[in-house]
Amino acid sequence: MESTSKRMSLAEAVRQNISDGQVVFVGGFGQCIPFAVGHEIIRQGRKDLTLCRSGADILFDLLIAAGTTRKVIAGYVGNPGVGLAHAFRRAVQSGEIEVEDWTNFSLVLRLHAGALGIPYIPTATLIGGDTPDHVDVRSIECPFTGEVLRAVPALRPDVAIVHAQRADEDGNVQLFGLTGDTLDGAFASRCIIATVEEIVPRSVIRQMPDRTVFPGFRVAAVAHVPWGAYPSYVDGHYTRDDQAYSEWDELARSNERLSTYIDADIRRVEGFAETMSLIDKQRLDALREARRRLPELSQGGGI
Amino acid sequence: MTVIPSEAVRLVGYGAREISDGEVLFVGIGVPSLAALVARRLHAPSSVLVYESGAIDAVPPVPPLSTGSPSVVEDTGMLASCLGVFAMLQQGSFDLGLLSAAQVDRYGNLNSTALGAYEKPKVRLVGSGGAHDIAVLARAAVILMPHDPRRFVPEVDFATSPGSYGSTGGGAVAARGSGPGCVVTPRARFTFEAGELTLDALVDGVDESTALEGFGWSVPCAARLGQLTPLSDSEIAVASDVLESWGRDAV
Repeated sequence: MESTSKRMSLAEAVRQNISDGQVVFVGGFGQCIPFAVGHEIIRQGRKDLTLCRSGADILFDLLIAAGTTRKVIAGYVGNPGVGLAHAFRRAVQSGEIEVEDWTNFSLVLRLHAGALGIPYIPTATLIGGDTPDHVDVRSIECPFTGEVLRAVPALRPDVAIVHAQRADEDGNVQLFGLTGDTLDGAFASRCIIATVEEIVPRSVIRQMPDRTVFPGFRVAAVAHVPWGAYPSYVDGHYTRDDQAYSEWDELARSNERLSTYIDADIRRVEGFAETMSLIDKQRLDALREARRRLPELSQGGGI
Repeated sequence: MTVIPSEAVRLVGYGAREISDGEVLFVGIGVPSLAALVARRLHAPSSVLVYESGAIDAVPPVPPLSTGSPSVVEDTGMLASCLGVFAMLQQGSFDLGLLSAAQVDRYGNLNSTALGAYEKPKVRLVGSGGAHDIAVLARAAVILMPHDPRRFVPEVDFATSPGSYGSTGGGAVAARGSGPGCVVTPRARFTFEAGELTLDALVDGVDESTALEGFGWSVPCAARLGQLTPLSDSEIAVASDVLESWGRDAV
């Protein structure tokens, strides 16, 4: 069944599926943020991207700092629990990037409408204050009850980048734990690229098909990238490196320090494995040790 | 000999008092989450903490840094999606939303989007997150704010979520929730009288001028200014414990 294989290197997956100027949905909510894919986008020098998701973590900050981004469509862009996303902050203040300020709910609804294959969805949020005045939201009368609601337009990203625990060669992806808006965002997208901690035999996926979140036919590429969501976390594999988020706060305050880091740790390395090899092994061991254990993952040869 | 608790302990302790047992809570990160954890350990053990990441009935062993942090997932009744949680919010299933922001104004408008002009901000902030949605969809909302004069302004630079007067941008669309009902600081509790922020009750040992110190406008006082019951030893102990496990500045 070689012909059905979606497996390829991460570099190949990005080369084939992401081009300059595209709208990219970035998966992961707290968990499974696709940092490895972000690094590869930077290495390959993509530019003028529009990044979207509801609550955006420091991967947005990194992609903005590396000059890949022209626009952000989001409900929140920050460094959760730490503070502001400094590269984002500077880029908006200087007018370097454009922002569409939705709320987390309304952005999820836009993606859900995209995933449903319909042009808009009605809602009761985006009412009052200044937020509704700066996005394309309109009032609509319910044809059944006459109630006046708000309508938000579907969002259909060109490509979704996601990370998960495992997949098979066919690209059937299984994700355990928090998904946030990842499923709505990925199904709204025309193409899905997944990195996974493990590639497992088809039989393992088929033992637990209820845990499959993306069917192979909707997935364009799957790449095996251990630690691919670091410094965010992956249940069953490693916990969140909170210290790295605090360190990012320091690093991101200075453009100079940021570009030194991006050059040395991302652009001039061969791939994500080499970036990870620059991190203290004991630190990574501790993150692995503190992971949330998932017994289900061990059925079928996983961890 | 009474020891006056720190402002952080007071904010979290008095904030927790706004929560009643059995309530379903939409909880944001930072002070809102800390107050909910304190309430759950004291007078509201059957309150249900919901985080926008999708965690429902979460009992984080340590206060989470993000709504999607590992501690939110560690001990929780259900992991739904963001859509699932916001759907229930829109349906009216949440009794109370807990909010905080960079700025609050005399009408309870909250700003977490930008300082200065929106089009060319002096400081660009994080944006709404779920705050706007909580403010208009939760059945009731409370605002928890450190006493920082820069945060209390006559008019916010950008109204990320609407205050007690509700709709300006929504036209004919009515908010489903009742909007912010009160503001709690480490020094006082405020309500909204005819839509305007009004000093309602003072924290023990605080006078009116200290409660309003540095506010950028003249804040009206309730006809009968109340006095909040001092925090009990157990309230102080639990609030201190939760703050210590949070390990960051709350005020």
